[in-house]
Amino acid sequence: MTTLDALRDATSVEAIKADLLRTAYENEGSFLHRLDPRVLLLWYVVFLFVPWLFYDTTILLGLLAFVSVLAVLSRVSLFLVGLMAFTVATTLGSYAVVTVFTGDPVAAIRALVPYTLKLTIISVSSLAVFSSMGPKTLSQGLRSLGIPRQFTFLITYGYRMLPVLFEEYHDLVNSFRLRSTAPDSPGRFRWRHYVYLLKLSVRAFYPMIFNVAKRSRVTVEAMEARGFSHSLADEASTELRLADMQIRPVDVGFFAGSLLVVTGLALLL
Amino acid sequence: MMTATHDSQIAVDELQFRYPGADEAVLTGAELTIEPGEFVAIIGGNGSGKTTLCKSFNGIIPHFYEGDMRGQVTVAGHDVSESSVAELSQHVGYVFQEFDNQLVSPTVFEEVAFAPMNYGHEDYRERVHRTLDLLDLSGLEDRFVWELSGGQKHLVALAAALSLDPDILVVDEPAAQLDPVNARETYDRLATLNETHGKTVVTIEHQTEFIAEYCDSVVLVEDGIVRWKLPVETALNQLEVLRGQDVHPPQVTRIAERVLDDARPLPVTLADGLDLFTDYGDTTVARTDGPPEVNRKGKPVISFNNVSQSYDTLRSGTKDVLDTLSLEVYPDERVVLVGSNGAGKSTLMQLVTGLETPDEGTVTVGGTDTGDVLPEQLAEEVVYVKQNPEEMFIDDTVRADVAHYLDDRGYPNVEQRVDEVIEFLDLEDLQSRDGRLLSVGQQRRASLAIGLATNPSIILLDEPTGSLDLASREEVGRTIDRAGDRVETVVIATHDLELAASWATRVVVLDDGDIIADGPPSDVFADLAALERANLHPPQVVRLGTELGLSPAPLTVEAFTDRLNTASPPDETSKPTVEEQ
Repeated sequence: MTTLDALRDATSVEAIKADLLRTAYENEGSFLHRLDPRVLLLWYVVFLFVPWLFYDTTILLGLLAFVSVLAVLSRVSLFLVGLMAFTVATTLGSYAVVTVFTGDPVAAIRALVPYTLKLTIISVSSLAVFSSMGPKTLSQGLRSLGIPRQFTFLITYGYRMLPVLFEEYHDLVNSFRLRSTAPDSPGRFRWRHYVYLLKLSVRAFYPMIFNVAKRSRVTVEAMEARGFSHSLADEASTELRLADMQIRPVDVGFFAGSLLVVTGLALLL
Repeated sequence: MMTATHDSQIAVDELQFRYPGADEAVLTGAELTIEPGEFVAIIGGNGSGKTTLCKSFNGIIPHFYEGDMRGQVTVAGHDVSESSVAELSQHVGYVFQEFDNQLVSPTVFEEVAFAPMNYGHEDYRERVHRTLDLLDLSGLEDRFVWELSGGQKHLVALAAALSLDPDILVVDEPAAQLDPVNARETYDRLATLNETHGKTVVTIEHQTEFIAEYCDSVVLVEDGIVRWKLPVETALNQLEVLRGQDVHPPQVTRIAERVLDDARPLPVTLADGLDLFTDYGDTTVARTDGPPEVNRKGKPVISFNNVSQSYDTLRSGTKDVLDTLSLEVYPDERVVLVGSNGAGKSTLMQLVTGLETPDEGTVTVGGTDTGDVLPEQLAEEVVYVKQNPEEMFIDDTVRADVAHYLDDRGYPNVEQRVDEVIEFLDLEDLQSRDGRLLSVGQQRRASLAIGLATNPSIILLDEPTGSLDLASREEVGRTIDRAGDRVETVVIATHDLELAASWATRVVVLDDGDIIADGPPSDVFADLAALERANLHPPQVVRLGTELGLSPAPLTVEAFTDRLNTASPPDETSKPTVEEQ
């Protein structure tokens, strides 16, 4: 198999679909998954601020290394990592293009590296935290922090609909393909072919939203018929839902350990 | 029916209901009483108000749709308009027709626990396990709902509705969305719930074979009122009334109608039919029936060569859909692929379109390997009409959808050809509407139009009669016959064995990713072992014929009647046409 074939396999719709679903649901083996969702959310809030306290590139790189280790431990989707790397690279690239006209591009990029690093740290920690939490733990965590159930349920439901959306979208793109004409000559690197597919993908978007909106009518009725509204005001129901959460030594240890790492980086580098 | 273990009566008194924004009322004075422990079927045409009536039992009408309601509905002693949906839901479990959309949680356990947790029942774990045990679903707790088969999803939806242990269960059209085997399984579970747990079961149902076998009584809803509620035998003898609603009586009843000439009530179940026709003399003469066989000529149009296909799931392991399957389809064949859900029928069709290429083996269409060309190129020869018609609609009017392919390829006279197809399929009134907003029956007709407009030489139809009434089932056959002069080969995937029996020249039985029987319908339907292995249920007429010792068993009601007429009339007037063995 050539590298190109391998790349094509890895970026096939099926592979991406499986990768994303695995990220959303199969996180039980990961380290962060064992932690209490409230601790994890608090940790996340702290790490939203930490990067902004430092300006030194070395310290920032150290932080990035730390959160990257956590991301690897929580088995982040390769597709999402790739997407993020692509965004970071193109952002830096676009700075360069713009600054060609305004002055020295190299200097501009050098000045913007710390800023981009900070954003990347935050992105990687988001990936780590949210890939390690399943829909259930995430909504439990948010619910216990006082977020209304209407909203936390929406998260669980969104996750539930994810595979349905993928299926629906894939099917619609296929429907478009069977009734369209592909470009006669694909062009160098098949670029015309890919532009054509990209166009169809955009056009399939509206029909997908339409179909999903149609489904939701039955969903809402079914939720109503099984006491969803009732649960909003029911204390016992809320307690049941949050019953199996508890903060254990490992949670405290993780939180304290992370702070230690940050302090260590700040002092040593 | 057994004595109920509860006193949850349903009493509907002069119920009128108009949906918000609608001009006309859906229900215009419905009167109905359903006693505790009954097993009732509700029938009625599209738009007759039967679903609205059922939704008033758990208060979705009038609390969720705040339309204009008059009259009174009392369920288990609660006045529906005075009680909340939450309160009523503890008495009435509801399984929706689009049960797929009713599953709101990712895993089976969470789905079944949804209601008990909403009501704050601390014993929700026990409730979930008890309910899953009741429906033989134990072991599925951690599975993702989207990785289940259609039949399992339906049972999970049923389990979720049962998790609060309601006295009354309403199930909307179970047989329409499931294959016959799964539908039967659902009905068996419903029968157990009714007989041993005393639950009242109300199903909205079109398929009279299920009604005859499982229900106690039938309610006909017509033009917004309850026309009658009758015991099942009497109800299914109202042949004219049923046909007026596009409901087709069981095949046994239809045969008896043609054969009997006295005023005796007609049989409605297979067992009754057997009792009746056993006395009908010797019927074992062989006659050919079913469509004539076509000799295979020329080169195969489609060929599968040792094709294997599988896919990975998160929690259900790797699933092999096709396993080194080989099949050749010749010009002028009318092939029906049968097999239960998940047997690989749809995958086989997807492979012909080139949208998927096999993991192993090759698929060739008209001599071209599907791996060498784009699906867009194959689409010039092949058209694939999907099982779910909704996925065929990509434009905002039916007409634009029909024209899409022709426009995109710059064909001449697009308007004229679109007009032809639209007229041919009787879509004039619907052509400017959005396909996605039509009823399922209309959607299916529109999706056929979209397919035929491409003027293909190979037509692949996936479940064309799914959730269609029988009138349209015959229509599908006729439509294909007149579909176009270029059409060489038609392949239909279906679990509708009546369609297979009456239309196909070749029936291919798939099971577990491979072919276990292949031949003309009369041969395949005689191979009861293969059908049983593939989890298929032969049409009632075939079962009746086989039980009576007819060999080969007649495949259609007409053939059966002919056989009886030629073999047995006590006072013979027509010329005997017994053939030599």
